This record gives sequence, structure tokens and C-alpha cells, in this order.
Amino acid sequence: MSRIGVFICHCGENISATVDCEKVAKTLASMPGVAHSVDYKYMCSDPGQSLIRSAIKEKKLTGVVVAACSPRMHEPTFRKACAEARLNPFLCEMANLREHCSWVHAKGDATTDKAIDLVSMLVEKVKRNKPLFPIKVPVTKTALVIGGGIAGIQAALDIANAGQKVVLVEREPSIGGHMSQLSETFPTLDCSQCILTPRMVEVAQNPNITLYTYAEVESLSGFIGNFTARIRKKAKSVDEKLCTGCGECATACPIKKIPSEFNTGLGMRGAIYVPFPQAVPNKPVIDRSRCTYFKSGKCKFCASKCPAQAIRFDQQDEIIEIPIGSVVVTTGFNIKETSFFPEYGYGKYKDVVTGLQFERLLSASGPTLGEVKRPSDGTVPKKIVFVACTGSRDPAKGIEYCSKICCMYTAKHAMLYKHKVHDGDAYVFYMDIRAAGKGYDEFFRRAIEEDHVNYIRGRISRIYERNGKLIVRGADTLLGAQQVEIEADMVVLATAAVANDGAESLAQKLHVSYDAHHFFAEAHPKLRPVETNTAGIFLAGACQSPKDIPETVSQASAAASKVIGLFSNAELTREPIIAVVNRTAPPLFSTCVGCFMCQSACPYHAIEQEEIKTREGKLIKMVAKVNPGLCQGCGTCVAFCRSKSIDLQGYSNEQVYAEVMELLS
Amino acid sequence: MQALHQKAKELLESGKVQVIIGYGDGSGDRVRPVFISKAESASDLIWDDRCRQNLAVYLNKPEIKKLGVPAIVATPVVVKTIIQLISENQLKSSNIVVLVVDNDVVSELTDNASLEAYSAGHPVVFPPFVVKEIKDIAEMSIQQRNKYWQDELSRCFKCYACRAACPLCYCERCLTDNNQPQWVCVASHAQGNFEWHINRAMHLAGRCVECGSCTIACPVGIPIGLLTIEASRIVKQEFGQEPGLHCDADSAMSSFKVEDTETFIK
Amino acid sequence: MENNFEPKIVAFVCNWCTYAGADLTGTSRIKYATNVRIIRFPCTGRIDYNLLLKAFAQGADGVIVSGCHPNDCHYTSGNFHARRRWIVFKQMMEYMGIDMRRVKFSWVSAAEGAKWADIVNTTVNEIRELGPSQEYLEMSRQGVA
Repeated sequence: MSRIGVFICHCGENISATVDCEKVAKTLASMPGVAHSVDYKYMCSDPGQSLIRSAIKEKKLTGVVVAACSPRMHEPTFRKACAEARLNPFLCEMANLREHCSWVHAKGDATTDKAIDLVSMLVEKVKRNKPLFPIKVPVTKTALVIGGGIAGIQAALDIANAGQKVVLVEREPSIGGHMSQLSETFPTLDCSQCILTPRMVEVAQNPNITLYTYAEVESLSGFIGNFTARIRKKAKSVDEKLCTGCGECATACPIKKIPSEFNTGLGMRGAIYVPFPQAVPNKPVIDRSRCTYFKSGKCKFCASKCPAQAIRFDQQDEIIEIPIGSVVVTTGFNIKETSFFPEYGYGKYKDVVTGLQFERLLSASGPTLGEVKRPSDGTVPKKIVFVACTGSRDPAKGIEYCSKICCMYTAKHAMLYKHKVHDGDAYVFYMDIRAAGKGYDEFFRRAIEEDHVNYIRGRISRIYERNGKLIVRGADTLLGAQQVEIEADMVVLATAAVANDGAESLAQKLHVSYDAHHFFAEAHPKLRPVETNTAGIFLAGACQSPKDIPETVSQASAAASKVIGLFSNAELTREPIIAVVNRTAPPLFSTCVGCFMCQSACPYHAIEQEEIKTREGKLIKMVAKVNPGLCQGCGTCVAFCRSKSIDLQGYSNEQVYAEVMELLS
Repeated sequence: MQALHQKAKELLESGKVQVIIGYGDGSGDRVRPVFISKAESASDLIWDDRCRQNLAVYLNKPEIKKLGVPAIVATPVVVKTIIQLISENQLKSSNIVVLVVDNDVVSELTDNASLEAYSAGHPVVFPPFVVKEIKDIAEMSIQQRNKYWQDELSRCFKCYACRAACPLCYCERCLTDNNQPQWVCVASHAQGNFEWHINRAMHLAGRCVECGSCTIACPVGIPIGLLTIEASRIVKQEFGQEPGLHCDADSAMSSFKVEDTETFIK
Repeated sequence: MENNFEPKIVAFVCNWCTYAGADLTGTSRIKYATNVRIIRFPCTGRIDYNLLLKAFAQGADGVIVSGCHPNDCHYTSGNFHARRRWIVFKQMMEYMGIDMRRVKFSWVSAAEGAKWADIVNTTVNEIRELGPSQEYLEMSRQGVA
């Protein structure tokens, strides 16, 4: 026989102003199975909670209904109070008398009657509640970091320095990402490589970090604490253990004219190459799509010159499987090419470059060794135009969002140009200046005030070539939309930052959500900015939305701290609101007949097939089994199950059925 | 029929199958299901226009399973049923031999692909009286339909012959036998009957292969097949999915499309 | 008689959107009719059509079923599954002659407190117009055949 305790809260006057709480308590007291029913001014207060605790002990209650505010507000409070009195917390339910009753109805009998209905419904439910116990799942203390840019590097180092294992996967031959391509960084103008390369070396040397470059994630299965990652190590065609990184092979390679990805096409590389001198690891790979040997079966110049005999033309892609406890996605961003912009010449003018290309022209390690020269003829541009918001904030281009980094790097570009070409003229076309950030506004003002960069508020309508000059036509909206025409030697487009190639397919492999622009979606924009909707998978940096370096690094450290927090426990504790497939005595074993409709319906791939076998190992039947680590407790499977063989703890068929029956009795 | 007898004999003699599920002589002019496990009895098999019962219902019966690997003499709708059962993980084409007879030529359908090809080439055709019933009900007002079904279902006394005859009602514990909670009223009064029949229809939505076995089995002549035919019609109309065509199809009711449309959710 | 008739209405709602939306109605102190009782589910995907049948059999005059808008499901796709189920269930009920105007399906997000009040009030008014639920009452009155 149930002994239910009912506790009606006045919530000061929030409930009692329209609901006759005393009457509710009295009515409930006479309901079958109710052993105790009282009302009190503030149930959530300490004296209120001790009322519940002492009643549980004195009246030997088997269940509790607290009729107060929304369970979304105080369910944890009251469940905890019950647990303190040694009543299983899942034997406590809340009736929502405030948000769903007293606040939305006028004072009167109808309101009090509704309150009585709401409480009695929960009494009938709680009679059928079962004690539930938090689910424990073990945690594999290895983190997978996907992407070796600054976000991945920072996250990997933070996790590794906290004493946990990290597997860092990078699809290019070297880690470093976009940051390694940058010249100097705003707002301090410190050299990007100078601050980044020590970190890259640290990654390579940290014993807790296993680095796989030229590798990609094939698939991820499992759930928080218990993932399995399959990683494809693409064939580098070089035995890394033997290779000393001397560089003879690259010198020997007869192919020299492949546009270098690192130098954004402004420099060249060979078919066997190290992307840049400071690469980590500093070992070459063969680009098989360009290599003469792989195309025609002849050449092998590199192999003949390799003093370590490390070239391996027969190397195969290798797939490795690694148990993983948590994942940090740091796959970064990309920027639109100039060819995306018909109005600016579809990329056919060599001296119209992207911001990233201009970074390479400014960089001391770049194709011009840091001298600003025109890609077309190598002359120093005397008049240069920077165009902010190229593609960004432009619904016509399908990119409504702000790329965020362009205002600042454009100011930096103009500034660095003036520092290198003292007699040059720099113009910036902009829509708005967005320079919120520590030292940012001061920085862009310096570009105008100290370096005399000409800022023109307006957009560019067209760029075309005339007599070797680039004619930039636009309007100055601060001078009444007056036409402006500049004869420039070079134009730098701050093209929109977009999600990296393959972001969508990676999101699908990881089962995490992404937005319309294929940026990964955070679990909550404010309160859970580095988590995804999939437990155990975190985000950092520009894969979530365009970001500058300080913001990326903070996110990376934040994601790392989430991972470290997760790994600080030997086991994870999860709410036991999950689905369960019934088990019965032989010969049935379960009423489940294994149609597996639940399996195709489950959004979390939480339903597995289990074989029930005899002692001799003969298969008796296949039934569904819920993986408690993956199930999130939506109950969609429960409503599908024809034989009602699967049920949801906390919202079981018996419980919800009893609620309906009581409500309308 | 000669070819069928020959094929059945071969299959049994070679030991490839242990039992043939087919049609044989029944009382009067009727045919009945036969389960032949001896090669010399192969000539008991009959194949003519009277062979309409959906024999697939026997494939998952424990008594039949005990007899060993079966071959089944299959009408087009039996092939559909088998495909549907495969898609619901209740059968494997490798554990069964499906015999189809066309113009006295017997072919074995031994894999998913051949079953699917056969099914696609043999659409279900309703007999004229069923077409008329469907049309008549479609033209009724909702009140008329209410009366029609209340009248028809009032004869139901819950013998569950419909369930026993349906090859897709293979649950080991039916919803209606579940009393914690009692989803379907035990009594065969109007409410209990309604609950039973709408559940049967919902459970067969997108799964019913429209063989008509339930209607044939009903001892009081309720055209209950119309309910599951309607459920499958709705699924086909709304989601474009048909049962019995693909062995690896997800059930229409446990899958969804983001583009599914309706007009009644506000 | 119609004016005195107070319909009994049950609402089956999901925890994350409509339940929270109804909480917001309360926090915003928007007033609505007292006829509706909310039963909380984790997700619309969990709502069994048999519960609707039972509600009517028990004498409900109307039912509201509500959850997260498409693409907003807390569990990513429970509401899509629910939508399919309702599409078939509604037509099936109508095929068997049950007036489905007594069932209101809606999407109410956690931010749509005013919409929840509106759904309740509209439903109560419409059910009041329809009068007490007949079909099911008759079925249960008939007793054992």
C-alpha cells in the first residue's frame, strides 16, 4: 500500500492568492494512498524542506508530491530533500500549481478544482514510481582533438598538461593551421610564427600527446566516456622513423611548379614537400596526385637522393581504432576565394588578392620574404585598396553574418603596408568598423591617425583593369554617396570567413548539429558555448563561427577544461531517465520480438541488437537492448513499440496511463 | 502443377529443405495449407486459382519452425509478405526457399534481389468487391462512417482470428494481452472493439501487404481488412512508402522526413 | 446549455518546449481558461496515441497535443516521429468516424507563452461549440455486446 505525502506550497501568496491551498491539502488527505497532506507558506525554504524530511521519516512515506512551482524550477531541490531523508529521489514528483495554475487563473473554485486535479494526478503517478539509481559509465581518459590549428594546439596542450592523454589529428602534413600563415597579429603586432611555433614544438614533444598529421577521422561511434574513433592515416609515402628531414628529396623533385597551399598559391612547391620550414613534424609527404612516379610509374628521383632511404612508394593508407573518452572539434574555417566575386573580376586579376594572400606577402617567411610586391609583376604597389566585408553581411551572397576578423586584420594590413611602403597610399572601404575587444579600437584608430590610412565608408561596386591599373569604383556614403574612383596598383579583399571544407560531413560522422552555414552548433549560445548537443563532444575556435586568435584560444582552453573536468572522474553519473527493454522468464526471455523499429527511430543510436543464447551458445532470439550511456530518455521508441516491450523509466506506460485515468475520473 | 511437384520432390530429396508449405486438397471444393516433409507426398501440392490464403503466416509459427528449413509456395502477396518480414528482421532469405509458379514454370527466389524484382513485377490487385467497398466508404460522411463501423464492429467478439491469420502480427505478446496497463479494454463492447481495431490498423500502417487474410478469417464477416488497407493507403499517400518492396526498407512509421507535410498542426 | 458546458480538456505536452512555454505563460501572468490539465512528457515522440483514446474513453471533451516546433526538438527528431504518427492517426480516426476536431495539435516553443494561452482559449471555445464528446460516451454506454 502506498503511503504518499502531499505538500502544498503557498509560495508566499503566489499560489494561495488564487488557489485555496488549505482545501487542496484537505481534499488530498482523503485520497486513497495519501498518508500525509499539509500546506505551508514556503516549501522550498529550509523549514519547508525539513517538513518534508521529517514527514518522510515519521509517516514512513513511500512517495512525495510537492505541489508548488514548476518542476523545471525546483524538482532538483525537492528530490534532494527526499534523498536526504533516505527516500529515493525519483519517488518525488512535483505538481505545477504556480506557473500552470495560480498565475494564469483568477481566484475561484475552478482554479482550486484544477489544483486538486493536478495534485491528484501526480499522486497517482508517484504511486507507480520506482526507485531509480544514477547510471554509472566508465570513462576512457583519452581525448581526441580534431584539427591542429591554434585551437587544437591549445586544447591539446591544456589537456596534456593536466596529465591526460590526447590524440591530435590534423589532415594537412603539418599542424599550425591558419595562424602559421599569418604575418603579424593584431592588436600587438607580434609575429604570428614567433608565438605559434614554440607551441607547435611543444605539441610534438609532449609525451601525453600522440600526433597524427596527414590523417582524418573516418568515423566515431560510442558515447561520452566510451567513444571509438577510427582514424585514417593517409599514406605519406615516407617512412617517418627513418626520415631525418634533411630536405634532399624536395630539392631532387623535378616538379617545382605546384601552387603551395601554405603560400595561398603565391609560391610553389614540389610533389614531395614540407609545407613550410617550421612545419611540425618536419618530415615531407608525397602528393600522389602530382607525383610523376604515381602518374607514370617512372622518376623516383627523391628516392635516389634520400640518404636515409626513407621513401616508400608502396605505403598504404592505414586505419587505426582508438578508444576515446571525449572529443574536441577544432577544425577551423576557410575564406572565400576571389573567384567567388564576379564584380571584382572573378579572380582573373592577379593583383586582386584575398586577405590571407596578403598575409603571405607581408610575412618574412612568405614568397616575397616580407616585401610587399604585386603578384603580377613583382613591383611595389604605391596605391593599395583594402575592401572590408567582401561577401560578409551580404544576403545576396548567402552570407548574412559578420566574419568578425576582417575589420581588425584590414586595419593591420593597411598599417603594415604603410610601415613597409612609406610613400604608399592605403585606402580602406568599409561598412562599419567593428573593433570591440581589448586594445582593438585604439589599434584601428592608430591606423588612421598615426599611419594615415584613408578610411572610406562605402561599398565597392566594381573593380576593372585599365592600363595596368586596377580601377576601384565605389561610393563614399559619408559624403552623400559621392562616386569614388581609385586607380590602384593592388586590391586586397577581406573575403568572408566560411566553414571549413568537409565540416558538414564531419558533423554527420560525429552526430553533432551544425547551422545553415555548416558551422558547428553549440549546445547553448550563452551558457554552453563550447559544448555540442552530443554529450562528450566539445567545440573550440572558428569551426563554430568566425573568431580571432584570443577568442579561439579562450574557447580552446574552455573546451579543454570541460574535458579535464570529465576526466577527473573515474565514472560518469547520468540521470536514470532512460528506456529499458523488458526481460521475462524463459522461454520468452523478453516480449520483444526484435522488429527493431525502435532502432531506426532512435535519434541517438542507443538501441543495440542483443542475442539471447542457450548455454551451448545456440541462438534463441534477437532482442533490442538500450545502451544506457547513449539513451537520452526521449521515449520515442516507447510509443512505437507494438508489444510494449520497451518502457521509459520515470515516464513509464503505467505512470502516464494512471495520470490520464486519474485526471478524468 | 507437374513442375511444382517435381521441384518439391527435388528440394526434399536433396535435403535442401525439410518442409514444403503449400496448398493441398481441403474439404469440399476448398484448398487448405499443407506441410509436406516427405518427397513421395510432393504430388499432394495443388496450384490453381483457389490458392489465395497467405501462407507466410506459418513461417514464424514455432511448430513450423521446428520442422526445419522451409520452402513456401508463394503467391505475389506472399512474396511481399516475406520481403516485409525480412525488413522487420523476422526472416532471412538465406533460410528459406520461395517458390513462385508462373504458367507452370516454377522458379526459386533465393535472395533479396530476386524477391524484390518479383514483388515489383506483381502489384496487388484488389477483387472488384473490395474496390467497391473502399469507394463506398470513401464517399460516406464522417457520421455515416461512424455508424458503419459501429455497426460492423458490434459483431466483433474478439476471437482474434484476424490476428492469428495475419502474417505480420507476429508479436509474442500482443498489446491486447497487456494488462499493466490495460491499453485495450478486455470486453468486446463498443469501446473495447474500437480500441482493438484502431490499434490493429495503427500497428499495420505502412506494413499491411493487403492480402485480405484477416477479412477471410473473421467468423462474423467484418471487412476488417479495409482498416489496414486504409492505414497503408494513408502512409503511401502521405509519405510515399509502400510495404513489401524492399528488404532493407525502414518502417514508414519509425522513420520520418523533415519535409513531411500536414495542415492541422498549429 | 452550451454556455454552462465546461469542457474537460487534457493536454499532452513535451517537457522542453510546450511545458516550458506554459511556464512562461505563468511567469508573464497571461490569463487563460481553467479547463485544461497538463500532463508532462519528455518529448512528443513519447506520446502514445492510446493515451488520447483513453482520455476520450474517460470522458475528456478535448485533447491538446503540443511540443517543439520542427527542427527544435530537444532530442533532435522526436517531434518529427510524432508528426508522422499523428498524420496517420488523425486520418485513421476520421476513417472510423471519429470527429478529430476535438484534438488540437500544435507546436508551442519555450518562448511562446502567449501562444499557449491562445491555444488553450481557442480550444476551450471550439470544444464548447462542439458540445460534450458524444461518440466515445456512446461507445462506453453501450456496454458489453
